[in-house]
Amino acid sequence: MTRKLFIYSTLVFWIVVTGLAMTSVFWIPEKQDLAEAGEKIIPPAELAGHATPENCWMAIRGAVHDVSAYIPEHPSRPDIVLPWCGKESTEAYETKMKGRPHTPYADELLAKYRIGMLGKAP
Amino acid sequence: MHPWRLLSIPLLVGLFVALPVYWAYPDDLSSWRAVGIVLGWAGSGLLLASLLLMLREVRLASWLGGIERMTGWHHWTGLAGYLLLLLHPLALAAAAWIESPPLAWQLLSPVAQNWPVWVGWAALLFLMGGLCTTFASRLRYPLWRWLHSLLGMGVLVGFVHVLLLGIDAGAVFAILAALLMLVWRLIRVDAGAAAKPYVVRGVRRVAEAMVEITLAPLVRGMPAEAGQFVLVAFFRGPRYRGCGEYHPFTISAIDKDQQFRIGVKALGDCTRRMQALEPGVEARVQGPFGNFLLERPAKPQLWVAGGIGITPFLACLRNARVEHATRLLYLYRSEADAAFRDELETLAATHTGFSLEVRATGDAIPDLALILPGADELAGHECYLCGPPGLLDAVGHLLQLRGVPAAQIHFERFDFR
Repeated sequence: MTRKLFIYSTLVFWIVVTGLAMTSVFWIPEKQDLAEAGEKIIPPAELAGHATPENCWMAIRGAVHDVSAYIPEHPSRPDIVLPWCGKESTEAYETKMKGRPHTPYADELLAKYRIGMLGKAP
Repeated sequence: MHPWRLLSIPLLVGLFVALPVYWAYPDDLSSWRAVGIVLGWAGSGLLLASLLLMLREVRLASWLGGIERMTGWHHWTGLAGYLLLLLHPLALAAAAWIESPPLAWQLLSPVAQNWPVWVGWAALLFLMGGLCTTFASRLRYPLWRWLHSLLGMGVLVGFVHVLLLGIDAGAVFAILAALLMLVWRLIRVDAGAAAKPYVVRGVRRVAEAMVEITLAPLVRGMPAEAGQFVLVAFFRGPRYRGCGEYHPFTISAIDKDQQFRIGVKALGDCTRRMQALEPGVEARVQGPFGNFLLERPAKPQLWVAGGIGITPFLACLRNARVEHATRLLYLYRSEADAAFRDELETLAATHTGFSLEVRATGDAIPDLALILPGADELAGHECYLCGPPGLLDAVGHLLQLRGVPAAQIHFERFDFR
């Protein structure tokens, strides 16, 4: 019984993971979002060029934020935050202490530093 | 079994799950994300409990109701922990899906991600690989044992994933606890630091593929009782080279000067080699473990032995007289396998209240409905079973059908994989 449980649960896990990967490949974003946003599209290469404490951009949930001015005020140790400069940082933003995401307040704060949308790699 | 012993493992497992979940319980989170976090910590707690249950300390085994029970719970907690940890990333992905479906894959994707995600995937793959080999029962034991240890690696890598997420306090504590238990097991059990040195004093062939070995302590012996079992590894002798693996053997007699005997049947590569054991071979012994036959109530008894399963009953008969009416049903494949039969017949002739019934069954499980006593004869009996798992399951099932309560059926399986 335990053997069957292991086999079936592992199979279902991989089917779901594959399904999520497929969704990401075939997902067509709603044009309305982009039109409403009307924001600058920042390619990953440009994002990567802003990876220092004084010039720190981060991509979170598809949007790019220039958080250079906020870095000194961030409550956690600099070595937790700084490695994410110039990178896609959604998972880090969602999994701070004890795996918790940032608060709605932090979300609002983050929105103030938004400078564009993350584009796809060429 | 005493109620506290019965509750000991469920309470311990509950504690291992509740403490990390309480410590890390997320406030003010979306429901799927909170579920994901709780699943991660609950799964981690179950894996830590599973590690504790693989230790083989005499006192710990006594508190927790015996090694056999610990092994059963070790399997269940390990598998349950794995299942929760499979659901952990899926629940987090579900939280991201609500915001935007592609974000769910972004959260899981090992491509172009970061160390916490890569290490999380590595831990899950270690657990998957380790469990794959755990269920491959046809693998040879030494290879199986090493591949099974991948699971320990998976647990450690999993806690490194937590550390990389910045959850320092919880991760460091969990890594230290996991390391402590893995190293404890490696040194005390696998490397034999908890074992005592013995030497083979005598070897007697008792059936076609079975020998009885007499072991004498080189220093102080252990306070074993008839019906208990020990883990024994054999090493070198004048012309013998043992495989050095610890295998469980029931004590078949306790002799003077703290010597004891064990029955060894050729069931695998290592026990087949033990058929050629000779006096003077070095051995190391861990234990004693188990309380089978030790705490028998004052009631008439039915003992059912299959093959090598005769040894605990034989030890009991050799070392003490039966105090209550006892009927022993001894099943073996063929006359060549009927170990100790002559001695048992002599004991039956001299022990008042003890009766013996022997039967050669062939390779298949016999028609137990004809062999086992009827419901009327079984009323008020305590039943003790020892033998191959298939036989134990069949006998136990039939006894319950004939009205014997499960609490009055006691068995020993020796399935420690």
